[in-house]
Amino acid sequence: MVKEFERAGFTIVQMANLIPVAKTVGSNRIVPTISIPYPLGDPATTKEEQWKLRYYRVGVALDSLTTDIKEQTVFKVKI
Amino acid sequence: MKKAIMYVNQFFGQIGGEDKADFKPVIKCGLVGPAVELQKHLDAEVTHTIICGDNFIGSNTEKAMEIIMGFLKDKEFDIFFAGPAFQAGRYGVACGQVCKAVKEKFNIPVITSMHIENPGVEMFKKDMYIFKGGHSAAKMKDDVKAMAAFGNKLLKGEENLGADEEGYYARGIRHQVWRKDGVMAADRAVEMTIKKLNGKPYETELPMPKMDRVPIAPAIKDLSKAVIALVTSGGIVPIDNPDRIQSASATRWGRYNIEGIDDLKEGVYKTIHAGYDPAAADADPDVVVPLDVMRAYEKEGKIGRLHNYFYSTVGTGTTQGEAARMANEMIPYLKEDEVDAIILTST
Amino acid sequence: MKLEIGNFHVKDIIFGGSTSFSNGILTINKKECLDFVMSDEHITEAELYIVKPGDKVRLCPVKEAIEPRVKLNGDPLFPGYTGELVQAGNGKCHALKDCSLLVVGKHWGGFQDGLIDMSGEGAKYTYFSQLKNIVLVADTDEDFEKHEQQKKNKALRMAGHKLAEFIGGCVKDLKPEDVETYELEPVTKRDEKTAKLPSVVYVMQPQSQMEEMGYNDLVYGWDTNHMLPTFMHPNEVLDGAVISGSFMPCSSKWATYDFQNCPTIKRLYKEHGKTLNFLGVIMSNLNVALEQKNRSALFVAQIAKSLGADGAIVAEEGYGNPDADFVGCIVALEDAGVKTVGVTNECTGRDGKSQPLVALDEKLTAIVSTGNVSELIELPPMETVLGELESLARDGLSGGWANDEILGPSVRSDDSIIMENNAMFCGDMIIGWSPKTMREF
Repeated sequence: MVKEFERAGFTIVQMANLIPVAKTVGSNRIVPTISIPYPLGDPATTKEEQWKLRYYRVGVALDSLTTDIKEQTVFKVKI
Repeated sequence: MKKAIMYVNQFFGQIGGEDKADFKPVIKCGLVGPAVELQKHLDAEVTHTIICGDNFIGSNTEKAMEIIMGFLKDKEFDIFFAGPAFQAGRYGVACGQVCKAVKEKFNIPVITSMHIENPGVEMFKKDMYIFKGGHSAAKMKDDVKAMAAFGNKLLKGEENLGADEEGYYARGIRHQVWRKDGVMAADRAVEMTIKKLNGKPYETELPMPKMDRVPIAPAIKDLSKAVIALVTSGGIVPIDNPDRIQSASATRWGRYNIEGIDDLKEGVYKTIHAGYDPAAADADPDVVVPLDVMRAYEKEGKIGRLHNYFYSTVGTGTTQGEAARMANEMIPYLKEDEVDAIILTST
Repeated sequence: MKLEIGNFHVKDIIFGGSTSFSNGILTINKKECLDFVMSDEHITEAELYIVKPGDKVRLCPVKEAIEPRVKLNGDPLFPGYTGELVQAGNGKCHALKDCSLLVVGKHWGGFQDGLIDMSGEGAKYTYFSQLKNIVLVADTDEDFEKHEQQKKNKALRMAGHKLAEFIGGCVKDLKPEDVETYELEPVTKRDEKTAKLPSVVYVMQPQSQMEEMGYNDLVYGWDTNHMLPTFMHPNEVLDGAVISGSFMPCSSKWATYDFQNCPTIKRLYKEHGKTLNFLGVIMSNLNVALEQKNRSALFVAQIAKSLGADGAIVAEEGYGNPDADFVGCIVALEDAGVKTVGVTNECTGRDGKSQPLVALDEKLTAIVSTGNVSELIELPPMETVLGELESLARDGLSGGWANDEILGPSVRSDDSIIMENNAMFCGDMIIGWSPKTMREF
């Protein structure tokens, strides 16, 4: 899907936990998520912590959209 | 009796050499050049031969296709052949183009033949049967015979034994088969291990395919003016799954209006994705489709605005062909709203 | 560790007066067996059937398959699960061969359940079509999951394991027709000739991706989601230490029967001391987060290296995101200098054109491929159905659907079916039985 969107001219970032899979399918901008069943919020943490993590990682994804890249890039996350 | 038509270039069509490469397409009743050989082996009547100059088709592709499709539209035929093109690059590409167009327009089997170094092989092997042909016209008889033998199989509906056994280039189409010798996977694995450990040759049953890449889309210059859309393969849908998206091997997708919605609430949305534990996503669908934080970024002015719909399907077991089709079905909606960028979340 | 399995080859199964075995005939006292099953208060109704290869019978939703056996020293057949926690893999057991006990839901199926045809075109898709089977068809009071697509199937599966052990008891005091002996010396105490041979580990990746307990494969009753890769004696696997779970599209699964009879382990035993030195099994798992996947791969590579393995065979009980565990593990082993062969199925789509595994790496140079999960299968109606055929379409079985614009419903009004290979019960036989491979067309 990512490739089709990118081919059509949309700047796209894939947020995924399985980085090897995202790389294999040919995503160019990749931001890691924390797991498969809950990509952006660990249910074992408080709602506030989940929000904080989600806000931060989506922020990284938004910033990745404004970043010029030369090759497939996995953007680093701190939390 | 079934009928066949064959395409050849100006040289094999006996029009002339390089000086005649601008020759415009013609269709002749009966057999010219390689078609004579084809008729010897084919259990179908070769009714016509189409001849076209390699340069003409190369530089006027659209025009040439129009003429050739025009020739064919009132003809009855069950199978189409082109070449063999050996190592002739322009001829190979022409065979590929004509065969592809015939297959798309008439939905009948098309067969051609090229040497492995012919650029037409890489360009068209996924679209048609290209037989592994010889380097030069010295192999004409063998190559035509191989094409005809396989054509006979297809016409009779006999079992295709696969690319290697039949002698055509692999098309990237993999299906399961039962091994004739019945040797089970455990024995194959242990025997392969012993060979690998002893430096003996062995054959993997899954050669690594080459990766298809797309050019990187340019960065967004001013995010505060950009329209962003959310897409997910994590199967988040309204609770009653109105589009009946399948929980695995999905062929359907949905777009759901989020105007005025700041948060995907439990009990209103859920996941129908069967490939992961749904508990967390059902309890808070924002962990898969981060609508709540996107609204926050929208209010802050970090992004221009969020597109009024999110798009959802299920990634597990969904084929690339289906995924590509679904993406292409979503694209017009995204373009209509002048979406600049997409965040795709996957599970 | 030395395990002796005394075999009783079952030529026929009949219902009769007492549960017993004589001259190749396994007789089942139906009432006694059903009373035993019904002693679990969660089982609300139960029935027993016998099906044999060639019978015009379709079973669906199939949940589990177990080989009936008994341990001669009185230990539980599945330690930590059907009884107390004791060491598996040592001593003597008796086994009823060429047969299995199948557990079928009376009504409700789920994502993880499958289908078996005992005859016709459909019989080639599952290993259990070739066996004589005692079929327990039952329902439970587990109403909380009746309409859940993911089911733990706890009561039904447990009933199957216990009944297999109960029936196995009838050969406890008899003399087996033949005895298979599985014995490996400790890794550092092998004879010179064996020690000089290239050494091989078998890396198993059983299904462990549900974070909630009750769905995953168990090792000595312990949820495999909660473990790190560990070194096991192959005899433990053959002797009931590992049982199948209740998660994953069915064709990719390994039944408990498959663990008990793991053909890859048996073949490695056969080569041991001749062409290779079989070190043992590294029991790994499958995970949902990349960090977990990477952690398991690190452990596997380290254990293999510490044991001095020259080669490894890695097999995954799954497809889709488990491919990332599978590929990651093979890459880690190759990077550690361990020459590795992988065993897996593929998901190339109904049209065969999709990428075979979700992750790929050029270090995967030796793969044995056992089938395509998404191959479309159309089968005519079958005279008898055990279970409830509608579950294939209604309950979200991985290879079934309620409706499809082009193909219609999986179960048609005349009881003919159209489905994906995904729902064939343990159909891709990644454990090693698979006579299937993948071919380019």
